[in-house]
Amino acid sequence: MDLKTEVLIIGGGATGAGIARDLALRGIPSLLVERGDFTSGASGRNQGLLHSGARYAVNDPEAARECIGENRILRRIAPHCIEPTEGLFVSLPEDGPEYRANFIRACAAAGIDALPLSPRETLAMEPRLNPRLIGAVQVPDGAIDPFMLVVENVRDAESRGARFLIHTEVTGLIRDGLRITGARVRDRIADKSYAIAANWVVNATGAWANLILGMAGIRIGLALSKGSMLLTNTRLSERVLNRCRPPSSGDIIVPNDTVSILGTTSLREDDLEHYEVTAEEVTFLIDELSKMIPDVKNERFNRAYAGVRPLLQSQEASDDREISRGFALIDHGSGSGSAGLVTITGGKLMTYRLMAEKTADFLCERMGLHVPCITHLQPLPGAGLGNTLRDRLLHLRRQTPAARGEILCDCELVPREAVDAILREGKVRELQDILHRTRLAKGTCQGGFCVYRLLGLLNELHGEQGSDGSNVVLRSFLEERWKGIRPILWGTALKEEELIESIYKGLFNLVPEEPGRTGGGAT
Amino acid sequence: MTKAEKKPVLLPKLPDVCVRCATCMAACPVSRVTPRFPGPKQAGPGAQRFRSASEASVDDWIELCTGCHLCDTVCPAGVPISEMNMMAKAKYLDERGRTFRDWLLVRSDLFGELAARFSKIINPLMKNGILRRLLDALLKIDRRRDLPGYEYPTFRRWFRTRSTAEGATGRRKVAYFYGCFTNTNETDVGKAAVEVLEAHGLEVVVPPQRCCGIPRLGVGDLKGAREMGRRNIEMLLPTVREGIDIVFSSTSCGLMLRHEYSRILHLPGAEELAGSLFDICEFLLRLREEEKASPIFQPLSLKAAYFAPCHLRSLNIGFPALDLLRMIPGLDVRMLEADCCGLGGLYGFKTEKFSIAEEIGKDLTEAAARMNPDIILTDCEGCRMQVRHLTGLRVIHPLQLLRDALNPS
Repeated sequence: MDLKTEVLIIGGGATGAGIARDLALRGIPSLLVERGDFTSGASGRNQGLLHSGARYAVNDPEAARECIGENRILRRIAPHCIEPTEGLFVSLPEDGPEYRANFIRACAAAGIDALPLSPRETLAMEPRLNPRLIGAVQVPDGAIDPFMLVVENVRDAESRGARFLIHTEVTGLIRDGLRITGARVRDRIADKSYAIAANWVVNATGAWANLILGMAGIRIGLALSKGSMLLTNTRLSERVLNRCRPPSSGDIIVPNDTVSILGTTSLREDDLEHYEVTAEEVTFLIDELSKMIPDVKNERFNRAYAGVRPLLQSQEASDDREISRGFALIDHGSGSGSAGLVTITGGKLMTYRLMAEKTADFLCERMGLHVPCITHLQPLPGAGLGNTLRDRLLHLRRQTPAARGEILCDCELVPREAVDAILREGKVRELQDILHRTRLAKGTCQGGFCVYRLLGLLNELHGEQGSDGSNVVLRSFLEERWKGIRPILWGTALKEEELIESIYKGLFNLVPEEPGRTGGGAT
Repeated sequence: MTKAEKKPVLLPKLPDVCVRCATCMAACPVSRVTPRFPGPKQAGPGAQRFRSASEASVDDWIELCTGCHLCDTVCPAGVPISEMNMMAKAKYLDERGRTFRDWLLVRSDLFGELAARFSKIINPLMKNGILRRLLDALLKIDRRRDLPGYEYPTFRRWFRTRSTAEGATGRRKVAYFYGCFTNTNETDVGKAAVEVLEAHGLEVVVPPQRCCGIPRLGVGDLKGAREMGRRNIEMLLPTVREGIDIVFSSTSCGLMLRHEYSRILHLPGAEELAGSLFDICEFLLRLREEEKASPIFQPLSLKAAYFAPCHLRSLNIGFPALDLLRMIPGLDVRMLEADCCGLGGLYGFKTEKFSIAEEIGKDLTEAAARMNPDIILTDCEGCRMQVRHLTGLRVIHPLQLLRDALNPS
C-alpha cells in the first residue's frame, strides 16, 4: 500500500472539499482524490446562486429553511466568495397574484425576509425588466463563486493537514471481507497507479455516485437531470431575477461578476461523459427569459454550458423538479455489506457545508469521537479579500505602471502575476486548473485571444510532453472551448469566432487532431 | 468647479459589437507610449462590461484618452469606441469633479475677445517665466508648452470692417464658421479662408456663432457642450434654411459640428445642420471638380509636408487639402507619415499629460526630420501648435498657402 489515511474522500466538488475542511477542523486526517480538477462536476457547472431558499418556500419548506440557514452562514464564513446582490421574484401578468400571495406567506413561514415591491419600485431597481410586470418580492438571494468557495475550503483544510490529489481517479475499491478498506487510484497525468488504505471511504462524487458504488456492487436510486445555462456578454441586472411562479425551467437570471447566467433546463440524462447543450435548449431559454427581460432576445452570449444534478430517487415522479432536492447520507455497511463506505449525494451547492457537517458527524460518531463541528463559525482563510472585476481594476489602478506588468486576459483583466503566483504554488497540473483559479478565459473572447499568451508560461508545467506539449494543451483547450461556444454562435459572436479560428489555423497553423496520429495524443 | 451632474449617464450597450480583434490597439497613440492607458479595446468595449450607471467609476485611466478618434476610424466592427470612452470620461469627471484649470481652459472663448483686445499686455505675460512657473504650480498648465498669443483686431472685427472685394456681392453665398482660435489667435487663417473663397467666385458671409464646445467635450462636460451646441444650431440653422452652405477651416470644430452634435450630444437640428456643413477644402475641391470655379494657382517653389489631423481622418472625407495643394505648380508636397501629433487639444497643455503628448509626437518629429521640408501644412490649430513646438519649422494652414498661390504678391 502506497498511501494511508483515516478518511479517503472521493470527489473534489463542494461536498468533498467541505468534508475535508470539516474533518480537518475536527483534527481528523483525510485525503481527497479527484479525477479532474476541483469543481469539475456539478459544483463548477451551476448558476452560482446563493439561494435564499425562497424558490423552495412554497413547495418544500424544509429545503427553504435549510437554504436560508446556510445562506446566513455562508455570508459570514465566505464573504469574499459572495456578491450580496439581493434577489427579486418577479410576477408577470400571466403568473397572477395568487402565487405571489402564497409565496410571501411561505417565505414568512420559512423565516426568509420577503419585501413586496410595486411595479414602479421594481422597475426603478431593475430598469431592463419587462414593464408589464405586476410586482416583485425582494429576497436575500445572491451570487456565489463556486470555484473560489471550493478552492478556499481546500486551502483551509490543507493548512490543517488534509491532503488533496487532483487528476487522480479511483479505479477500484479495496475490500476486506465485509469492509471497504481503501481504493486503487491512478494518476491520470503521470499515468501511475497505486493504492490508498483508509479506515473510511466517503463517496462524494455527486452524479457519479453509482460509478464508485458499482465497484462495490452497490447501486442507489439516483436520477440524473441535465440543466443547461447561457452566459451573457454583459451583466443584465444588478440582482438575481426569478419568476414568481411554481419552479419551472427558464425562470432565473443570476448576475455573476461581469456577466449574467440564464437558467435553466431540466432534462433526464444517462450519459455522464457526453452531454451537451442543444439548440432547442438555447432557443427555449432565450424565449422564456425574454419574457422577464425583453432585451435577452438581442443579447450577445459568450457561452452555453450544462451541469448534471444528482437527484435522489425516493419515489416515482414524472418531473425531476418534484424529486426532493434534499441530500442523503447512506451507510453501505448495514444492508450492502460494505462497512466503512458511505455515500453523500443529492443536495445542492447551497447545502454543501451542511452535507459535510452531517457526514463528519456520522464519521465522528462511528469513530467514537466527540468533537463538534465549527465550520459554521470559522471563516474561510481569504475572507475579506475581494476578487470581482472591479476589485481587480482597483488593484491594477493602485499599482505603479512599472509594477503593473503584462495583462494576460484583456477581457477580465487578469495580470500575469496572478498566473505566476498560482504556478509558484505548484498545485496546478493542467491549463484548465489555472483557468479554474482565475477569471482567465471567462470573458467575451472565452480565451480565444489570451490562452496562447499563456502557453509560454505553461512550458514548465508541460515539459514532460516534449516539443509538441504546447500544441497538445492548446488543442485540448480549444476542443473544450468549442463545446461551450458552438451553441451560441450567431451575430457578433460568430464573426469573432471566425477571426479566432483564422488566428489559430492561419497564423499558428494548428491542425485538427488526426485520428491515429501518435506523439502528443489527446490526454 | 462645475457642479457634478446628478443624472446618471446611460451608457450605450456597445461592447457586444466588438470582436476583440485589437486593431484599435495598434492605432492608439496613447497606449503606444504609456502603460497607464490600456488601449481602446480594454478602456472601451472591455471596460464597458463592468461599468454600471448606478455605480461609481473605477477606471481613472479613461482621462488619458485624448479623443483623437483614431480607434473609431480603424475599427472593422464599427464600434464607436471613443464615444464610449467619452461617456465614461464624462461620468468619471462628473463624479470626481473638474479642476479649476479645466473650468478655465474650456472657457477660453469667453475671455478670448478681451485677451485679444489687451494682446500687447497679455502676450508678453504668457511668455513670462515667473508667471508660467506659477501657472504650472497652481493650475498644472505645463510651462514647457508655448501658450498661443492673441491678435488684434480679431478676425470677426477685421471681417466686419473690411471693404468687400469688388463684385463680390450678388454672387453665390457661402457661410464661414471660423472657430475661436482663428478669431483671436490666428486671424490670418480666417483672412486666407475669405480670400480663397472669394477667389473662387463666392460671397462670404459670417453668421453669428459661438465656440463649438469641443473643449468642454474634451473634459467630459456634456452639459456644457450640449449648451454650446444648442446655441450654435440655433444661430446657424437660419443660414442653412436660406440654402447657404457653411464651411469650416478648423477640422476639430468641424468634427464637433458635423458629427458630435448629433452622434454624442443628440441635439435637435444637428442632422439638418450637418447636411449643409463642409470642410472648406472639401468644399473648394468639389467646386473645382464641378467646374463651377477654377482660378489658376501660380507656381510656388517650395518643399512642403502635409500632416493630416486625427479629426480630419475622423471626418471620412479623405485629404481634400492635400488634393488642392497638389494643384499648385512647382509645389513639392508630400504626406507627413505620422499618426497623431499628440497634443489632443487642451490635453497636451496639462502638466500631468505633457510627457505623453511629447512622447506621441516623437514619431512626427522623426518623420519631419527625414523629409526636411521648408514648411508644414495642417488643417488643425492644435496640430499646428504642436508641430511648431516639435519641429521649430513654419507651420501654417493649407489655406494660407493656397491664398499665396492665388495672389502671388
